[in-house]
Amino acid sequence: MDFSLSEETKMLKSNAEKFMKEKSPSSFVKNILKEEKGFSATIWKEMADLGWLGLVYGDQYGGSGGDFFDLFILFEEMGKAGLPSPFFCSAVFAGLLINEAGDEQVKKEYLPGIIEGKKIMTVGLRNDRGLYDYPDPALEAQEVREGSYRIQGTRLLVPYAHVADGIVVCAKLMKSPPVSGPCLFITKSKGPAIRLTPLRTITGEKDFAVTYADFPARPQDILGMPGKGTTYVEKILPKLIALKCGEMVGGLSKVVDMTVDYVKQRVQFGKPLGALQVVQHYCADMTTLLDTARLIAYQAGSLISAGLPCEKEVAMAKAWCSDAYKRSTQIAHQLHGGIGFTEEHDLHRYYKHAKVSELDFGDSRYQRQKVAEAMGF
Amino acid sequence: MRFTFTEEQNRFRQEVRDFFQDELKAGTFVTKSGGLAEGSSQEFSQKMAQRGWIGMTWPKQYGGQGRTYVDKLILNEEVFRVQAPVAYHFLADRQIGPSIIHFGSEWQKEYFLPRFIRADDNMKFCLLFSEPNAGSDLVNVATSATKDGDAYIIRGQKVWTSGGHQAEYGWLLARTCFDPKVPRHESCSQFILNLRLPGVTVRPIINMAGRHTFNEVFFDDVRVEKRFMVGPENDAFKQIMAQMDYERSGIERLMQNYPMYEKLMEYVKRMDKKKVGEGFYSWVRDSIAQLEIEFHIGRLLVYYTAWTIDQGRRPSKEAALAKAYCNQYEQRLNDLATRILGPSSLLREGTPWAAFDGELAECYLWSPSYTLQGGSVEVLKNIVAQRGLNMPRK
Repeated sequence: MDFSLSEETKMLKSNAEKFMKEKSPSSFVKNILKEEKGFSATIWKEMADLGWLGLVYGDQYGGSGGDFFDLFILFEEMGKAGLPSPFFCSAVFAGLLINEAGDEQVKKEYLPGIIEGKKIMTVGLRNDRGLYDYPDPALEAQEVREGSYRIQGTRLLVPYAHVADGIVVCAKLMKSPPVSGPCLFITKSKGPAIRLTPLRTITGEKDFAVTYADFPARPQDILGMPGKGTTYVEKILPKLIALKCGEMVGGLSKVVDMTVDYVKQRVQFGKPLGALQVVQHYCADMTTLLDTARLIAYQAGSLISAGLPCEKEVAMAKAWCSDAYKRSTQIAHQLHGGIGFTEEHDLHRYYKHAKVSELDFGDSRYQRQKVAEAMGF
Repeated sequence: MRFTFTEEQNRFRQEVRDFFQDELKAGTFVTKSGGLAEGSSQEFSQKMAQRGWIGMTWPKQYGGQGRTYVDKLILNEEVFRVQAPVAYHFLADRQIGPSIIHFGSEWQKEYFLPRFIRADDNMKFCLLFSEPNAGSDLVNVATSATKDGDAYIIRGQKVWTSGGHQAEYGWLLARTCFDPKVPRHESCSQFILNLRLPGVTVRPIINMAGRHTFNEVFFDDVRVEKRFMVGPENDAFKQIMAQMDYERSGIERLMQNYPMYEKLMEYVKRMDKKKVGEGFYSWVRDSIAQLEIEFHIGRLLVYYTAWTIDQGRRPSKEAALAKAYCNQYEQRLNDLATRILGPSSLLREGTPWAAFDGELAECYLWSPSYTLQGGSVEVLKNIVAQRGLNMPRK
């Protein structure tokens, strides 16, 4: 047991913290959310130049072949700042899928662009309820000729589809003889057979519904082995979930800081609110949620980094972080009073982020099922 | 960042585990929840002493081994996994020894530390802190220690004294300054008090589980030599604040009911899904997974606290936070277990049909004490807020 960060990781963490503070103050975040693109191209380029987008990829693609845990720490810092960007959908979700499933040619085609930030990729793996359906996708690919397909159906909550160079989707193959599992495709994001519908999300981040109507997919659009779609996604899933947990821990820590600062300076009844025991106990509860969430999330990140089996630990982390983050934002709102309910204040961004993150990759109830399975129940 | 143990630590854990398994097979003790409260055996403590498992973290110059708190935690995790009977030396090992090392005189160090490490005769301690009017408000103690030549005369009463009826010594907090202008927290001193001295009376208190572990202790002009005072006069609260951090940091707050946790898991594993009904089973499955997560997190908190001590930092916030968390977990464990097992789990020991032979009923009855002893959850949250988050006191 060693809970200290390595010198390099400490350095990365403090650089990232400084970067986010300077480049992404909350006034800035609110403005970029209003823009059509939904993220800052300048910051995006700077993050790419810092090598962050390529942290975990091989150097043959322009990555630095670094430690997964460093990426995890980066997500904690991004979670603190609440910076909207296609980092997760492009350089993590789509990138890792391509890295996992793609052959050398595909990797060479996509990864360098993703790592340099020049190519933005996204993923469409959610059905019309917004749930990941990769084990049995509602999206269908009908074979028309040997290896050529027509894709039909709608994907919901596809981030940044309007600026994406490609979308990774998972579709059920309709062919004879039948193939047992679904198949990953990389599709374009524009064209006559694709319709994008912007969605009004609670966070204001840019998500789209993508509807494929007889979208023609060529053999070279297939990513990996047909029938292996679920396997590829499941292979990278622990990493995705751990990074989400890191991001949630970052958000949670920001919420605690904000709230403790606020109750120390807000005077009522002739003294700071923070001098009231009931308020102190709320703050102690929030700190407990933060420290516990951080420990269990760090554990997940660290075990993945070490290449150790951690299915149960990842599920525990997501279950706990989901509840802890959400609960903390609720307490924070209670302690901030009316001011926290205004658009002007930052707190609502975390309240929204906590809820969206809770439902992403399954809430605590869902994750507890995974824990129970891992326990043999 | 590493969430695994070193080879050496794994070997040490195995060594401890093997020893306890052998002792269990030999029938030296039985595994039953709440063992710390009742399992006191000098003979057993001496066996552990021979292996160097008492005073592990103490400096070598005092006969300790200078090992880390994480190592000691590995030992204690195994102790509580099987509820080994460690009560004879546990308090001395956990907090009396460290307090003497930090604040005691040379004579006290030379006299007590080697005897603790060997689990010698007459070395069982109890704590004499709480009083009828000084619970959470500990600075309100009224027991007085009045100077009389080279001794102090102790007069007053203590309460909730765990193990007071078995202990030879008490670690006593008493008022030594009676000037009302001096702040209360600068008016008290700590003493090592031999309970066999004339004027000491120990009376049992039977708790709501029907057990005798608590006592009231009365001091009727008990004469204590000055050399038994710890540190300078009126220095008690500085010492106690540090001592409490160690008292609170251990895994006993998470694992007093560990056998119940294991039995519950075993019970659920054997549960017939069809017979109990899908709805009930799915609730059980969800609750058990939540409990598992909570236990796992408690364990991380306790290891994190031990690691903090190993880094040379005082774990005030960490220990308070961990204890508050773990105490509440143990209450939920016992409550959940009764709901999963049903009414027969509330039958007491020795009753036919009592689930787990009454162990669960007993655990449930002990539960309210967890969030009170060693600092109530409320006091602990104050510490987290005031010392951890620097929130204003007024």
